[in-house]
Amino acid sequence: MTSPPPATSAPPAPPQTRPFSGLRDLRLIGRQVGYEQLSFWLNPVAAVFTIGFSLVFLILLGASAGSSRDASLGNIKLIQYYVPGFTAYGVMSACFTGLAVLLVIRRETGLLKRLRLSPLPTWALLGAVFISTLLVAFVEVILLLAVGRIAFGVHLPGNVGAFVLAIVVGGLSFTALGAATSTLVPNQDAAAPVTNIVFFVLLFLSGLWFPIKSGSGLAKFSGFFPIRHFITAVFAPFNVQKGASPWAWHDLLIMAIWGIVGVAVAIWRFNWAPRRG
Amino acid sequence: MSAVSVKNLRKSYGAVHAVGDVSFEVEAGEVFALLGPNGAGKTTTIEILEGFRSRDAGAVQVLGVDPGQRRTQRWLRSRLGIVLQELAVEPYLSVRQVLARNAGYYPHPRPVDEVLDLVGLAEKAGERVKTLSGGQQRRLDVGLGIVGQPELLILDEPTTGLDPSGRRATWDLIKQLESEGTTIILSSHYMDEVEALASRVAVLARGEIVAAGTPDAIGGRDSGMVTIRFRLPDGVSAADLPVPGLPGTGGEIEIRTEDEVSVLHRLTGWALDRQVGLPGLNVQRVTLEDVYLSLTRSQDDEKQEQR
Repeated sequence: MTSPPPATSAPPAPPQTRPFSGLRDLRLIGRQVGYEQLSFWLNPVAAVFTIGFSLVFLILLGASAGSSRDASLGNIKLIQYYVPGFTAYGVMSACFTGLAVLLVIRRETGLLKRLRLSPLPTWALLGAVFISTLLVAFVEVILLLAVGRIAFGVHLPGNVGAFVLAIVVGGLSFTALGAATSTLVPNQDAAAPVTNIVFFVLLFLSGLWFPIKSGSGLAKFSGFFPIRHFITAVFAPFNVQKGASPWAWHDLLIMAIWGIVGVAVAIWRFNWAPRRG
Repeated sequence: MSAVSVKNLRKSYGAVHAVGDVSFEVEAGEVFALLGPNGAGKTTTIEILEGFRSRDAGAVQVLGVDPGQRRTQRWLRSRLGIVLQELAVEPYLSVRQVLARNAGYYPHPRPVDEVLDLVGLAEKAGERVKTLSGGQQRRLDVGLGIVGQPELLILDEPTTGLDPSGRRATWDLIKQLESEGTTIILSSHYMDEVEALASRVAVLARGEIVAAGTPDAIGGRDSGMVTIRFRLPDGVSAADLPVPGLPGTGGEIEIRTEDEVSVLHRLTGWALDRQVGLPGLNVQRVTLEDVYLSLTRSQDDEKQEQR
């Protein structure tokens, strides 16, 4: 320990790898998304929780109450409200709860740290997780619209551009919030219960199961959180209310603000290694 | 050129000094062991080498670059193989899928079938990872560490939790990688593992290196006290011996000496003259375990004094 280190010739300058090197890296992330998808669909519990729940809820509610009409929404059939609502729910369950639980489990089992130490760049590792999550959400949207159309004969979104925008802004915002939430959950046992309780309470108060009268106290309360705005923004492009705009700019803005807060919290608190020990 | 060079490394977590002034060099192609009790700073040191943890002070070079330097991190990681202390394998993919996925991260991966053979998981290739036993998952973990054909393989307690045959298989794998020219750093708290594998060892205690050297010379093992044991031949009493011996365990005679050459010469010369044998004659140096315990014992003593 005390002897001086042996004189070594200056090492050759190591090749400096750019963080992103074009086409090869695009293939790398594409490949990683493929493995993320494989991992998701091979996990039946995650697939059923994320995809199945929204479909089952929509079918049960649609069959029991779908044909009654709601005065506060211009006397439309409730199913025409439930389809956008559960489409939003499907996106949120994939991007928010699904992602939060996945990240907590991966962090606590050491998988995040393991991949962090591989040559896979961080942006590719996390980017693939987020893209894969959004792909699952996209599949859910298609399934829910198909069930709504085929089983209940609802109108599909009249303004496709506004619908896609609402799904994209919601998907990205809730992905950010899912990543942020994962940083607040201390261990993997708590991951599913904690995120689901928060999620379901807010869903209930945000009018997923029943339309909320605008101007009510509940509307003011739930207006603070992003869920109600997402439901509203997905509902508007269906063009079922006379005279209402399909572009819910105000709702999209509030969701985006929540999304930015989510990104900030996720970056600030993100942890690669297990919290325990 | 050294594969790894660590000079005056320091790292604290708040008020806890995890590593205080550690220096060592690892030559290319050697197997270097960090030995020490839990909490001695092995994992912290290794995580700094991996670029996972930042350091408070000191100079660290791994394969010629600073592992904390972001610009060269991706380059470095494509040349490192890392097996963490904690088992971490994707549960839902098959063994082959996980290996193939990680192989794709490296510029010159080892063929997946070769890795499957090396870690003895060829028959399990199609099985889901979560259906494997703990030992099999550990072997897959090691397989993920070598799939990139690393120049430097870092193993943090690679055989913890393995059964004896799994341990032996991992040892054989490490020896094979060494013969292929891979530089290997391993941490362990198993003395026999270090003795079987390492060309050099550094003993860590309280975040400092308390001894370093080859496993058979460390802590003065190659010199110093030797114990000679044998049973008394029939018709001979301890008083007849040419050198004083003490009755040891199991009716044996024990002679402790630092001058084993002349003691053995007198003893065997005497036995030849008397035409008697020295049944069960055994010459034993201090074991690595003895050295390790004496080097690291003071840690516990100090803790007790603090209480």
